[in-house]
Amino acid sequence: MSAPEKPAKILVVDDDPQIRRALTSILATRKYQVIAAADGAEGLDQAIEHNPDLVVLDMAMPGMSGLEVCRELRTWYTAPILVLSVRGADADKIAALDEGADDYVTKPFSAGELLARVRALLRRASGQAAAAPVVAIGDMEINIAQRRVRRGEQEIELTRTEFDILAYLAQNADTVVTSKMLLEKVWGPEYRDDTQTLRVHVSHLRRKIEPHPSVPRYILTEPGVGFRLATS
Amino acid sequence: MAAVACTAAATLVFLPLRPDFAKGQWALLYLLIVVFVAGIAGVRPAMLSATLSFLAWNFFFLPPYGTFRVEDPKDWLSLLVFLAVGVAMGLQTGRMRERHARAVARERETAMLNRFSSQLVTDPSVPEVARILAEEAREITGAGAAALFIPDDSGTVRALLSWPRDAPILDAETLALASWVHRQSKAIGLPLPPEGTEGQPRDWPVSVNHQAAGAARERRDLFIPLQTPSRQSGVLYVGPVEGAAGQIAHQVALLLALTNQASVFLERKHLQAAVLQAEALKEADRLKSTFMSAISHELKTPLASIIATVSNLLEEDVAWDREGARRELQAVQRDLDRLDESITELLDVSRLEAQAWQPTLDWCEVGEILSVAISRLPPDQRDRVSHVLPADLPAIRVDFQQWVRVLAHLLRNALTYSGAGGRVGVGARAIPNELEVWVEDDGPGIAPDERERVFEKFHRGRTATGSSGTGLGLAIAREIARVHGGRIWVEDVIPHGARFMISLPRAAVSEVTKP
Repeated sequence: MSAPEKPAKILVVDDDPQIRRALTSILATRKYQVIAAADGAEGLDQAIEHNPDLVVLDMAMPGMSGLEVCRELRTWYTAPILVLSVRGADADKIAALDEGADDYVTKPFSAGELLARVRALLRRASGQAAAAPVVAIGDMEINIAQRRVRRGEQEIELTRTEFDILAYLAQNADTVVTSKMLLEKVWGPEYRDDTQTLRVHVSHLRRKIEPHPSVPRYILTEPGVGFRLATS
Repeated sequence: MAAVACTAAATLVFLPLRPDFAKGQWALLYLLIVVFVAGIAGVRPAMLSATLSFLAWNFFFLPPYGTFRVEDPKDWLSLLVFLAVGVAMGLQTGRMRERHARAVARERETAMLNRFSSQLVTDPSVPEVARILAEEAREITGAGAAALFIPDDSGTVRALLSWPRDAPILDAETLALASWVHRQSKAIGLPLPPEGTEGQPRDWPVSVNHQAAGAARERRDLFIPLQTPSRQSGVLYVGPVEGAAGQIAHQVALLLALTNQASVFLERKHLQAAVLQAEALKEADRLKSTFMSAISHELKTPLASIIATVSNLLEEDVAWDREGARRELQAVQRDLDRLDESITELLDVSRLEAQAWQPTLDWCEVGEILSVAISRLPPDQRDRVSHVLPADLPAIRVDFQQWVRVLAHLLRNALTYSGAGGRVGVGARAIPNELEVWVEDDGPGIAPDERERVFEKFHRGRTATGSSGTGLGLAIAREIARVHGGRIWVEDVIPHGARFMISLPRAAVSEVTKP
């Protein structure tokens, strides 16, 4: 994928100089414009000064934690926030998503993983994904405008709910979608805690669109959080 | 008391009938009374009764009536014989009675001691012993409450059990007295040992009164130390105890027999615990040293290889072409994955040791777990895994992340042992009361004597080729399965290979299968 024409501005907030260096290197070599901050307070200042297109935010920082920075940012900042969490700190990760973070990457991460998340978030933020009438995932084509899904020449019959779930996941392809978000979007805010219903419908959906429904490849479970539609 | 009453009553009954019988016959009737008194009250009352009867017979039935004078000198002989016979019979019957009473008491005592020691033989827990001891102590003394105080590690005594449960005995003073007894190895409130009980006085603990032990006033309860020559193991409290000193002394003798047994038992418990602790320490020590060598091996080896490779890339004497540099870096990447894996396992295991492993249960499908586990494998290994899961597999209620770890461990393990290019299969099925998931490889398999040991920490299979992991993966998997109420074991695959089976109990499996 080529770098955007006007380079996106990315603010990296991480207290560890080596991680900061690696992040800067990974992003800058992809022609993103990188601003780095070594702690939460500096991160907030830089965000105000540069108004970046995306913030990469470490969760575990001394002083002001990533969660606090996220909360503070969300009082005025609307562009995507990608948090970096460590394995095992699931509660932190979920709290960050609740505070308005858009996605997370678990340390240690590979450059490929990080870039995939960054691209997906920037794409969504630019409005391309949400507006796209047709989304292609593997050999599957989801026509959102016509509410049709086909694999090759084969039409796939989905119920209304199944299609709504798939469409929402497709519009947020490669980005985590929390169960709450899906339930609110598809069923309405009063159903936001009914994860059991969601699970059953996702299971049906998988049986229709996954090549091996019992071992999903497209609709991946994000334990304790929700789902992610993987395009690669 | 009984002697006076019986003799007086008999005299009153006899008097109106005085004319009907000869004077000698009254002597026989009085002897009957003496025997009766001896039978119900023992030797001393019998003696008293014999003397009183002697006087009464003389006074009321030997003429002249109403005086102690005796008219007929032959009556003197009768009187003396009467006294001698009365005393002898009283003595004999009284002794028999006392012997009988003692035999009954001893029988009860023996029965109780038997009961107590047979309960100790079943190796009850310390609280259980406390309960039994307190109940027996109440039974013996009829006291309202009994408690066993046991010292904790710091030597402070605590009431392990008080009976009845809400008895208001655990005031500060009672606790202070119990502590005093524990520290001083002296009893409080015991009477003197009963007379005539052979052997007892030697075992009788030194006892002080309540005030001497620091109480504000005398109390009606007993504190008995539980001790063996080498150790103070607690204090038995019984109170309030009512009754004559002699009676209490008998009860205390019994209590002492009980506390002696209990002391020996508690001492044995203590020694057992000490031995176990020593063994646990030894085992912990062994694990720690294995742990250290595993850490240094598993962390340092990939690190050494990374340092060597990267420093080589940085050397200026070679102009690395793109492809060459890429190959070197791929090697670094593999080492890094291995490092990451080892560190995760070490963290898992320390969490496991700290017992801080609480599952976050949620409904999910085996396939979902498997797909995440497969995505954790190195990309070039993923295609070696084939899976056949039935479409109607029920959902399971487990900790998703932990089960990803279990499956990832099993997959990595299988990939390692099946050798380069070997195939690994994953399957699952629902059986009546459980759900089974398995991971199998076509490697050399696991020898029967190793099938249990592979789940031990740091155990490495004999057939392991080269170094592969910390040896913690299967121990972690077993612990996770255990926390979920499940099991994990190894089976043979025909013609060769190993199959790791995991079963989850019905409670963790949904009743409703997928439509």
